[in-house]
Amino acid sequence: MTQPSQFARDRQATAPAGAGADPTESPTGQAAPAGEVRILPEGVATAIALLVVWLLLIAVSAIDKSSFLSRQTVLSVTFTMAVLGVLTVGQSLVTISGGVLDLSVPTALILPAWVIASLLTRGISGWLSVVLGLLIGTAWGAFNAAIIVFGKLNPIIVTLGTNFAGAAILGIYVQNAVVPNHAGLSTWGKQYWWGLPNVFWVMLIIVAVVGYLLPRTRIGRRAIAVGGNPQAAKMRGISLRKTRFGIFTAAGFLAGLAAVLFTASQSSFVSADGTNYLFLTIAATLVAGIGLSGGYGNLWVTFLSVGLLSTIPTTLAFFGVPALWQNVPAGVILVIAVAIDGFRRMRTAR
Amino acid sequence: MRARELLNSPIGSIAITLVVVVIIGLAAVGGTFFTGSNLTIISTNIAVPLLLATCSAFALLAGVVDLSIGSNAGLTASIFADLVLHHWNPWSAALIVLAIGIAIGVINAAVIVGLGAPPIAATLGTLSALAGLQYVFNGTNGSLTVLVTGLYKFANTTVGPIPLVVLLLIALVIVAVYVVTSTRLGRHIRAAGGDERAANRAGISVRGIRIGCLILSGIGGALAGILYIGQLGGATNTLGSDVVFLVYAGVMIGGYSIIRGGVGNPAGGAMGLLVIAGVTDIIAVKSINTYYTDVIVGALLLLAVFFDRIRGGDAYE
Repeated sequence: MTQPSQFARDRQATAPAGAGADPTESPTGQAAPAGEVRILPEGVATAIALLVVWLLLIAVSAIDKSSFLSRQTVLSVTFTMAVLGVLTVGQSLVTISGGVLDLSVPTALILPAWVIASLLTRGISGWLSVVLGLLIGTAWGAFNAAIIVFGKLNPIIVTLGTNFAGAAILGIYVQNAVVPNHAGLSTWGKQYWWGLPNVFWVMLIIVAVVGYLLPRTRIGRRAIAVGGNPQAAKMRGISLRKTRFGIFTAAGFLAGLAAVLFTASQSSFVSADGTNYLFLTIAATLVAGIGLSGGYGNLWVTFLSVGLLSTIPTTLAFFGVPALWQNVPAGVILVIAVAIDGFRRMRTAR
Repeated sequence: MRARELLNSPIGSIAITLVVVVIIGLAAVGGTFFTGSNLTIISTNIAVPLLLATCSAFALLAGVVDLSIGSNAGLTASIFADLVLHHWNPWSAALIVLAIGIAIGVINAAVIVGLGAPPIAATLGTLSALAGLQYVFNGTNGSLTVLVTGLYKFANTTVGPIPLVVLLLIALVIVAVYVVTSTRLGRHIRAAGGDERAANRAGISVRGIRIGCLILSGIGGALAGILYIGQLGGATNTLGSDVVFLVYAGVMIGGYSIIRGGVGNPAGGAMGLLVIAGVTDIIAVKSINTYYTDVIVGALLLLAVFFDRIRGGDAYE
């Protein structure tokens, strides 16, 4: 990367002068000038708050039932985190870049997962199936992107429509997809490395790498700039179409990757299994302090929100509360998070 | 000239779409499309979505989308059934349920208007919380069965082929059209959704209007919950979970926008729902896999917003 990008970390707190070669590198590169200075402290505050809540939840559960702190719990939480985490990175990229929300998450997850499971069942090699799954996910993202970019339509309505159609078609063809047990992918998906599931590590790498690259690469900063103020970004020569196309295609690729992890850790699934992930990815994104208005947010914080939201079902199950309850606390947390965020923004706006 | 303007308006295109659906219906299904029993089926299916759409579209118009209406209806249906099963008088149970609907509206309003949270995010949260509570009230069976005789009779009374409830709802739509197009209140609601700042400067209480609209939306959810019990004689865990997408797809096909307020007309919204109901019926009568309804609804939704954009609606760039 060029020199200015090495100062990216500093730039968030104090914009260095004289980073001018590329339009996106200028001090005003972050499109929401009022919000720019606050990106770092705000992200940290949200992260600390989330970490405290998460640890409190674990501590309270452990004090009440000491057996909570078992390997079983850790595995249950980390398996849940894997798929949700990768999907949330895609959702967060869409939100940060001003794409509001991707409502097609259920289709984007189950379509590639179904393709992978069907290929494995037919004895196609694991690697080829995984590559094709990733391609299908990317193609779905590109399909959404094409309608959004060429139709100039709002992503939230487009993805609502494509998910309507996609989920219905999956409903017709995917009754009960079985992942063959003997397949290499399934074996790998149930193995551990350093005591934690392989799929969890893949998620951790994705969150870490994408979270690192987003504010530190030219392409990432362009995405943030487009989300913050599209007109300003356009005037500085950033192609809105290319950026949007890239982001939604990337979200599709990530959903394909999530589908690989999903297939690797499930023995069978139905098309409706994707539905709950839609709410959870949106909740994880917003609870991590990434605003719907776009242009700000720290992807690393999503690790904590994903962790918190994935711990809740395990905790509830541990206390004998039916898993069906799990959406109540998640919904309440989401409302509280957006209320705090909205309140803070309203006060700074005044 | 005026006729041409009307044809080019959202109402015009949704009316044309509706006519096309009816023609396809007549061609595909034949004369039975208009027989009494088929009309009864169509209009019974449309009752709850129409009630929800008419009440929550005021919030859309004022620039706040309420995604919690479906689970509001599902939850209030469960609570209503639960209360009646515990030997409550149905009228008092209905009052309690209405109060719950108002409370849901107040919570949404407090978070959105009071604390400035984005409506989509906030009501998605309440959607999830209410849907979870629904499971709690339905108990271990996951469903409640209850027969409220008077309510059941009321919900199943038909005048000719059309249920009485639907006729009342049509009257409600007409009132809504009148309020939106011809009253000061309607103008203020549209102004609040169209340009918040300009409306504030003109002395309109945008906050007050939004609070009122969100409470109306909550009441609509509770009324729909009671209507569900009248129609179905029970509540289930998933009741209301799909209807929210259907309602918003319908009103968007009919010219509303969930992205910006100030646009749309209750008559357009009602026709949008009629289009979906017509498509659903054609597919059911021809015994095609019902999933194809959603494929068509998805395509219609995209086409509708595309034509709205061409006509000069907001382009997303």
